[in-house]
Amino acid sequence: MNLKRTKLLVEPPATATSDIAFILIVFFLVCASVEPDKGRAQVLPRSEPEKEKDKQSQTIEVELTRTAVILNGNPLAAERFARAIALKLADKTRDEDRIVAVKSRKEVPYSHWMQVTGIIEDAGGVITLQIEEEETVVVQ
Amino acid sequence: MIVKRRKMDATIPAMAMGDIAFLLLIFFVILARARDDSHLQWKPAPGQELSRPQTMNASVVIDKYNVTYLNGREIPAVSLGEALKKILGENPAGRRTVMFKVHHEVTAVYFEPVIEAISEAGGELHHILKEEKKRQ
Repeated sequence: MNLKRTKLLVEPPATATSDIAFILIVFFLVCASVEPDKGRAQVLPRSEPEKEKDKQSQTIEVELTRTAVILNGNPLAAERFARAIALKLADKTRDEDRIVAVKSRKEVPYSHWMQVTGIIEDAGGVITLQIEEEETVVVQ
Repeated sequence: MIVKRRKMDATIPAMAMGDIAFLLLIFFVILARARDDSHLQWKPAPGQELSRPQTMNASVVIDKYNVTYLNGREIPAVSLGEALKKILGENPAGRRTVMFKVHHEVTAVYFEPVIEAISEAGGELHHILKEEKKRQ
């Protein structure tokens, strides 16, 4: 007597593929880190030789300490600084007169620096960095 | 005579769902921008009235350990200028944007030489900040 072999279903269940794919989508979305990409553009003039700097006698000088701002030698709070710098820049029409030299002490944090330079730019100032160059002197 | 109404099948074809899902998957993967500095640890400083740069030609990061990276690779601040000049090449203005990501607590002794190097290389600085709501 011949017994007929029953055919086995070997096809994988196709309905599961949609679930797999959606799980993969969720995985990629969760893994994708939400990195900030918004910010503020800043135009800095290229560094100039010392001779050029000497011509700008009227440059406003701002010195930054860890928490304070010093405008032309006078320490000011952030709000007073905003008003003072706006007043100083108000009557200046030429770009070269609107240059503000920013000198930071070594311990100034980036957040404070950004806050102060933001105030200067909002007031219409053009920021230049005043960086002290390190020089090694050999003592004999 | 009573005529029986034939029942209509109204099932959604489940077979197509897999194809749709995989198309969505491909769509997301293509849209995702390759960020090679996403592994770096830094927290942005707060800022107001922020904008998104129109082009992104290079990315400079200073992480919370004061280490400088150019496009995700560690680089000493001294050689940053030269490396940036090579990347930016002869790109015209508007296509020389350098995304500058600095941890909010990094001090001037680390970030100022980097800003100077970017400026020297002719890069257009775009500080990446975190939106801070205006105080009323």
